[in-house]
Amino acid sequence: MKNKKTKKLLLAVSLILFLVALLSGGIDAAPKEKKAAPKAKAADVKAWDCAGCHKDKKVLPDSHVPIKEMPYEGCLVCHIPGEKNAGTLRTKIPGSHLHALKGVKCAQCHGKVKKPAPVEMSKCVACHGETAKLAEKTAKVKPQNPHESPHYGTSADCNLCHHQHAKSENLCAQCHKFDYIVP
Amino acid sequence: MKKDDQSEKTLSRRNFLKTTGGVAATAAAMVGGLNLLPAKAEAACDALPKKWDDTYDVVVIGSGFAGLAAAIEAKNAGANVLVIDKMVLHGGNSIINGGDFCAPGTKLQQENGVQDSAELMLKDMLRVGAYLNHPDLAKMVAFNAKGALEWTESYIGAKYTKLNFHGGHSVKRAHGTINSSGSELVNKELAKAKEIGVKIQLRTKLVKFLSNKDGRIVGVEVRKDYKFPDDNSGKAAFIKAKRAVVLSSGGFSRDTRLRQVHDPRLTDRFESTNQPGATGEALLAACMAGAMDVQMDWIQLGPWTSPDEKGFGYVPLFCERLVGYAPMINPKTGKRFFKETGNRKERADAIILIGDPVIIMGDSYAVNKQIFPMALQKGMEAGAIKKFDTLEALAKEYNIPVDVFLKEIERWNSYVEKKKDDDFDCMIFKDAQPTVAGPFYAARLWPKVHHTMGGLNINTDAQVIGFDFKPVKGLYAAGEVTGGVHGAVRLGGVAMADCIVFGRVAGTNAAKEKPWG
Ligand SMILES: Cc1cc2nc3c(=O)[nH]c(=O)nc-3n(C[C@H](O)[C@H](O)[C@H](O)COP(=O)(O)OP(=O)(O)OC[C@H]3O[C@@H](n4cnc5c(N)ncnc54)[C@H](O)[C@@H]3O)c2cc1C
Ligand code: HEC
Ligand code: HEC
Ligand code: HEC
Ligand code: HEC
Ligand code: HEC
Ligand code: HEC
Repeated sequence: MKNKKTKKLLLAVSLILFLVALLSGGIDAAPKEKKAAPKAKAADVKAWDCAGCHKDKKVLPDSHVPIKEMPYEGCLVCHIPGEKNAGTLRTKIPGSHLHALKGVKCAQCHGKVKKPAPVEMSKCVACHGETAKLAEKTAKVKPQNPHESPHYGTSADCNLCHHQHAKSENLCAQCHKFDYIVP
Repeated sequence: MKKDDQSEKTLSRRNFLKTTGGVAATAAAMVGGLNLLPAKAEAACDALPKKWDDTYDVVVIGSGFAGLAAAIEAKNAGANVLVIDKMVLHGGNSIINGGDFCAPGTKLQQENGVQDSAELMLKDMLRVGAYLNHPDLAKMVAFNAKGALEWTESYIGAKYTKLNFHGGHSVKRAHGTINSSGSELVNKELAKAKEIGVKIQLRTKLVKFLSNKDGRIVGVEVRKDYKFPDDNSGKAAFIKAKRAVVLSSGGFSRDTRLRQVHDPRLTDRFESTNQPGATGEALLAACMAGAMDVQMDWIQLGPWTSPDEKGFGYVPLFCERLVGYAPMINPKTGKRFFKETGNRKERADAIILIGDPVIIMGDSYAVNKQIFPMALQKGMEAGAIKKFDTLEALAKEYNIPVDVFLKEIERWNSYVEKKKDDDFDCMIFKDAQPTVAGPFYAARLWPKVHHTMGGLNINTDAQVIGFDFKPVKGLYAAGEVTGGVHGAVRLGGVAMADCIVFGRVAGTNAAKEKPWG
């Protein structure tokens, strides 16, 4: 700052800014953090032990069959699409949960770190294989292969659709009427 | 005047929140905030950040055709270049575009026996543009399109495999990419840019141009890790542009607020074919930094879109390849109502005047000859294109008075026989045949907002012109964000030519600017 006047001005303005922010509820306006379940030792709780992490909120219907020690394949006995079935678990629970039920640990994506950071697509590819191969697997998906498009080839970033800690998204639906269920 | 405007606009509650909320309340951001005050020129100068987060010779805003062409040329001219884009993916409208690149006098035209010249392309652009085109800019595009196309082939490696026709052109001059998509070109531009060392940074939104006390653009304020469309996402950062900034942020077809300022008809009743990020804030930021805008109310509606599918869809591929082979019908009257090969504006206006969707149709000869099987199949799967065994069945589906309709088809067929349309002077192609062979195919048409012809005023060096009629120092622009090239109507396939011609000019010249510091 060049001179005293500007300094004073800056001070005054900061104060005004602060007050206005307070009065207009600006403090609340900070991006709302998604209230996640308790963080403590989350990594040690078994995947099926929903209540072990979700202490304050029921995440399973009361009438649900016990799922203690049940692997993902067990869930899939009932959780498949179609009438009389319980419907797919895709989109019902976050991707990290699907992975956990499949025995994939936090550290297999994040590495052994205290403070997990966002995970690069290369990590996904390391387990799931080359994107071209993945695209072959889903070539028959209707109305259109989600893993291949003229725009992005097979290289669209997995994390644009498959979220691990939030509801997954259908990137293509911005412009196309592709009604995917994105796991 | 402009400066005062700017202060009022930006002193909104939202901006207060932005600068006070959370991380943004760093010293740098506070200084940035101060900049927004009604201030004299010296204060604006004071308000430059003490510390820049990043420094490049040339900063390019937008990763479509124009931006990447600029980045590549700037880099090859020796500059150190950053490209930013606010979206999670590169490519803007360019990556979803239909891949038709108009250029005159090319090899592909020769192979197809098409006589063409730059003069003729210019004439078409001006005639269809209602002579509102800035002639020097239009001329730049017409006369350099061939060179630009060849550059994308020989240097970038894009492949064009077919010659297509677009309404309003006198000849076939649209060079279609191998995958019928602009992604062929923009993805290869991106690969080239990366290969030669251009830095690409996505999820980084331009918020404000920063100028020094001479009004020279010296850098930009951005939001990093921005998540479209949340204005509060990400955090503020300042990037210094030692030589220049190239603005290539595309059009504003998806900006309902801005487009209604200029054409109040265009409420949200009209969908758009564009990517969701086709909004005008970067264009407006340039205006706040002194740039002049032109012809903002010339907003193009695509006359070939369907209300029965999302976005661009398949029907345009169906419609545009049938015109000149088959008729367009107003279902209310059962008759043709307009020149099928007319330009976009005429056709869209004609449909809006009717007030309800119209029909484009073709018989199996025209459809099998002209329509990509994939587009036909997908359009039918989506329910936007329908198939009928007889003309009567078609009429029934769309509530068309059948007697009038059958007579009208006969009339059309007589024009096809003699290759001359006495009613609307539709161009009828040599290999067109009467509409008689079932099955018949049809789709409904209702316009969608497609292109914004208006934008920043530039000169033939791609310098942005200010309200003092002088170039805004350190600011270049290219592509759909600029105005004047197309006048009242952008012809199909000319945007690609525009973007590559002016993108290259902008990049080359930006790299040549003297560094300011
Ligand atoms: C469906 C469709 C089909 C088309 N087909 C054809 C065709 O066949 N032939 C033809 O010639 N033309 C066609 N066009 C028109 C043509 O594609 C566009 O005019 C052209 O792609 C524009 O290129 P551009 O580089 O100017 O902008 P874009 O490719 O749109 O790129 C601009 C980029 O800037 C980014 N951006 C915007 N604001 C900001 C900001 N504040 N900060 C950071 N980044 C920002 C956007 O996210 C975007 O990625 C078509 C258009 C559409 C929508
Ligand atoms: C014996 C069949 C059965 C098995 C096995 C089973 N479920 Fe369920 N589950 C159901 C039924 C039935 C519902 C209720 C579905 C409904 O809402 O219609 C349900 C509901 C749920 C819901 C709530 C879904 C919603 O719509 O909100 C979740 C979450 C869930 N199950 C998870 C699991 C998991 C995880 C497993 C495996 C560890 C599992 N289930 C195994 C039958 C089963
Ligand atoms: C399949 C891989 C995968 C698994 C398994 C996984 N995560 Fe993540 N995690 C991610 C990805 C991807 C992100 C980035 C999320 C984003 O940007 O939307 C992330 C983000 C996070 C973040 C926020 C990091 C930041 O700075 O934004 C935390 C914390 C986290 N994960 C914790 C965990 C914990 C604890 C577990 C085990 C219960 C776990 N993750 C399991 C992929 C995974
Ligand atoms: C350590 C290995 C590993 C990593 C790393 C990993 N995954 Fe997985 N993922 C798995 C396994 C195992 C399954 C279950 C596969 C199966 O059932 O065939 C799975 C399943 C999935 C599924 C399908 C879920 C379903 O409903 O069928 C998706 C989607 C997925 N992963 C995405 C990702 C993404 C995105 C990343 C990167 C953020 C990632 N994965 C990282 C191992 C991994
Ligand atoms: C455009 C959004 C999108 C992107 C990007 C994407 N996926 Fe998917 N993915 C989907 C959808 C939708 C499905 C479900 C397909 C279906 O209906 O079976 C799916 C299914 C999967 C499955 C289960 C496949 C199976 O055999 O059923 C895996 C594993 C997977 N994705 C991994 C990935 C990985 C790894 C990446 C990044 C390389 C990725 N996906 C990128 C949308 C996407
Ligand atoms: C290791 C701890 C842990 C376990 C075990 C766990 N969850 Fe979660 N769950 C979380 C966290 C943390 C979140 C927040 C999103 C995230 O980070 O994935 C979450 C989110 C969810 C959500 C989305 C909630 C919302 O409000 O959007 C559902 C549904 C859910 N869990 C269901 C389950 C079910 C069902 C089980 C048991 C099969 C389960 N969870 C087991 C930690 C856990
Ligand atoms: C920003 C808008 C946009 C997004 C996002 C987008 N597309 Fe497209 N896509 C288009 C447009 C416009 C076309 C060209 C017109 C057409 O054919 O529909 C197109 C064409 C296509 C085509 C060729 C025509 C066809 O349908 O056979 C495919 C395949 C396609 N897109 C798949 C995808 C997939 C898969 C995704 C998600 C990974 C996706 N698109 C995301 C706009 C988009």
